[in-house]
Amino acid sequence: MASAANTLRLCLRNRAQIPCIRPSVLKSQSPLGRRALSTSALRLAREEKEDTSHLEPVFEFNKTWNSPGEFLKEHLRDETISPLERQQAAEMLQTWEQQPESKKREIEQLRKDIVEKAGPLRRPVLIKRDSFWNANEKDTDYVTNEFGEDDFEEDDILSMGHGKLEEHREAREYARLTVWEMPLLAKFAKPFVPPADGECLRFRYTSYLGEFHPADRKVVVEFSPPDLPGLTRPQRRKLKLLAGPRYNPEKDIIKMSCERFEHQAQNKRYLGDLVAKMIETAKDPTDMFEDIPLDTRHHTFKAKPKFPKEWLMSEARQQEIKAARTNAMMLDEQRKTDGEMVDGVKVITGALSRAEPVVHEPVMASRRSNPSRQQSRPQMRR
Amino acid sequence: MSAPNCLRGCLVQRPAGGAAATLLRHSTVMPATAAHFSTSTPLHGNMMKPQKPGPKSKVLLVAKQWKKGKVADRGGKSPLPGERKAFRKRILLSNNNALPVEGLTYIGPGDLLDHKNVGKVMSIPDAAVDQLRTAEVFKPTQTWSIFRKPSMLVRSETVDLLNRMHTALGKEKALRLVIAGDRITGKSMLLLQAITHAYLNDYIVIHIPEAQELSIGATEYAPVPHSDPVQFMQPNYVLKLIQAIRKANEKLLAKMTTIYSHPDLPQNIPVSSPLLALANSAKEPESAWIVFRALFQELTVKGHGRPPILFSLDGLAHIMKMSEYRTAAFEPIHSHDLALVRLFTDCLSGAVSLPNGGAVLAAMTRGNAPRVPSLDLALSRRAAEQAGRHKNQLPQRPAFAKDYDDRVEAVLQTVELLQLQGVSKPEARSLMEYWAASGVLRSLIDEATVSEKWTLAGNGIVGEMERAALLTSRF
Repeated sequence: MASAANTLRLCLRNRAQIPCIRPSVLKSQSPLGRRALSTSALRLAREEKEDTSHLEPVFEFNKTWNSPGEFLKEHLRDETISPLERQQAAEMLQTWEQQPESKKREIEQLRKDIVEKAGPLRRPVLIKRDSFWNANEKDTDYVTNEFGEDDFEEDDILSMGHGKLEEHREAREYARLTVWEMPLLAKFAKPFVPPADGECLRFRYTSYLGEFHPADRKVVVEFSPPDLPGLTRPQRRKLKLLAGPRYNPEKDIIKMSCERFEHQAQNKRYLGDLVAKMIETAKDPTDMFEDIPLDTRHHTFKAKPKFPKEWLMSEARQQEIKAARTNAMMLDEQRKTDGEMVDGVKVITGALSRAEPVVHEPVMASRRSNPSRQQSRPQMRR
Repeated sequence: MSAPNCLRGCLVQRPAGGAAATLLRHSTVMPATAAHFSTSTPLHGNMMKPQKPGPKSKVLLVAKQWKKGKVADRGGKSPLPGERKAFRKRILLSNNNALPVEGLTYIGPGDLLDHKNVGKVMSIPDAAVDQLRTAEVFKPTQTWSIFRKPSMLVRSETVDLLNRMHTALGKEKALRLVIAGDRITGKSMLLLQAITHAYLNDYIVIHIPEAQELSIGATEYAPVPHSDPVQFMQPNYVLKLIQAIRKANEKLLAKMTTIYSHPDLPQNIPVSSPLLALANSAKEPESAWIVFRALFQELTVKGHGRPPILFSLDGLAHIMKMSEYRTAAFEPIHSHDLALVRLFTDCLSGAVSLPNGGAVLAAMTRGNAPRVPSLDLALSRRAAEQAGRHKNQLPQRPAFAKDYDDRVEAVLQTVELLQLQGVSKPEARSLMEYWAASGVLRSLIDEATVSEKWTLAGNGIVGEMERAALLTSRF
């Protein structure tokens, strides 16, 4: 959870030797300090009485940090230290005193810089507890300071522009690959060698290009019974019977697969053994299953209708049709001249003209007929 | 109109549960926008006029509650029981609105055997029409009702079939044949032509018009006494059949006399009494099957001036499966265990011979026929045999297949098969000329028209030609 930088920051903050821990901050914290890696939230302690005792070391650190010479001198005045420590302190004091003034100023400048730069890093994170969903809580996983990160300062293109550029970069990367790297693959190309007479088993493997996949262990074997050497016709038939629904009668191929074992090689070995066992059983003359017909109900034979050759329009066919049409026309002409042509329209008009005109008797309008109903009937559109 | 405006217009104009009527009423407000999402201008000119307020039509928000089983009263007299079916099944053989066709001749006894008549349309003589009607050979789906008098096209298949019947008659054998073919190719019509020929040539005709009536469990049945294995008779149907036979073949039956004494008949029929008396003795359904057996026995006596018999059935597939009947033990009854069906299948298979010649004809039906794999297989085997295929190359039952029936295949072991297809173009022309002369086809009948209809009808399938030319409302 915590990134390295965050851990470092937490550690630094708790190290007593590091100066510049402001008293105001320490005051709000417990005197023991925060644990470096804690899953529990920081709680503000109750307001305690003004206790200056815990401030003392801070001032001491500041003093030490600000002027090492004074610190060493004071240290030497201490009676409780061991002679070895005293000697070391004396040496250090001497070294310090011998430093030139410019060097001392440089160190002073460095100290100031460190204090200035490291200050914000060491600032403790206070969570506003009463905010909605702790909305103001910073994500401590980020190294960056989140403040103002998304503000657009008119000095960049928009993120969509960046995205577009990224697309271009990607495309160009693949283009480079295509141009420079792919031709090198031709070195690995192998010429296709058709399987020899003895190689009648065709195995199929699945690879997910090095990735783990539950299906990459699967091996499929296909073979055609007539390809197997040394089998008689009844033995081949028995082999097909043994294969059951794994036999495809349309292609005359037996197809089996195995993914029972963990590794591809194991599965392949199993399939190879199985084929060998099947052939052995097929050759076994004790029972040749002659009374059992070959069952092909598992397979649907799909008929693919093809355009019949006879239907293709040929020169001869065209001539034939032309002749038939001419013949039909001649027949019609002959019938016309003989008066044998039957015309349905003429028949009907002739019959109507011959028919006696129908005289409708006047009928009294029925009283019961409802006039409003008649009106409401839809009129035929003209 | 901008999109939000348009939307607002719609919302304003569409009342809750809005109906077309209310929309129109509102259209006085925005007449130009009556159809909100239409690109065409509104047609009604008077939509612009302000309409009278009129009584406000209430829009029904609640769907009407329909009570189950209650029929809306439309104010008319509802048809009596059986009236609807009678209307549906009625046979109209004449139509005075159709024009009489000149030069139409009646079929004579030998006309359907003559190859010269192929492609002619000929009328059925009136006497034969009555007989055919009695035997229920006409079907309501055939288009008799739009012509002046029942006439039919003599096809080459007709002449072929009847010549085969004639040849069988000479050999004193029965022609056993199944008429198969696609839908509406004229299978029932061919059967009708054969029966017409039979009536005109003094055959005794026993015709079962709808095989499904025997097997769908619609008529009464009872076990035949002393039959082993048990068979079932259908007394009511058989009584009706005897009456039809008696009525249609009355003259012939009156001429013949019985030669057996039939002790188990309900009525004493002494030897050498007319067969008509025997047929008349079937008064009650209970005795119908016994009388029918006796009649059949008398008719199939060799010699004694017995005429040939035509035993025919339409809808063969219906009697080639398990029937809808059940035994007392609630086991389904095979159709071949029904006595009348058994008699027909025995005749068809040749187990019962017709010594005076004649024919056993079975027409297939494609309209509502059940799927009978054994029947299909048997017919395909017969077709392969007729095509001259070797015995070893006939179609076989698929291994492991179910639904196959040995009894069905045994019946159809030796029958002949007639595959009906479309009519030839000269036949089609002749038929269409008859239609045009009857005034039901309003067009000039030339080669182009004939060819068009012939092609539209899937190479001259007669029923499809009728559909393409006659049964269309476009005039």
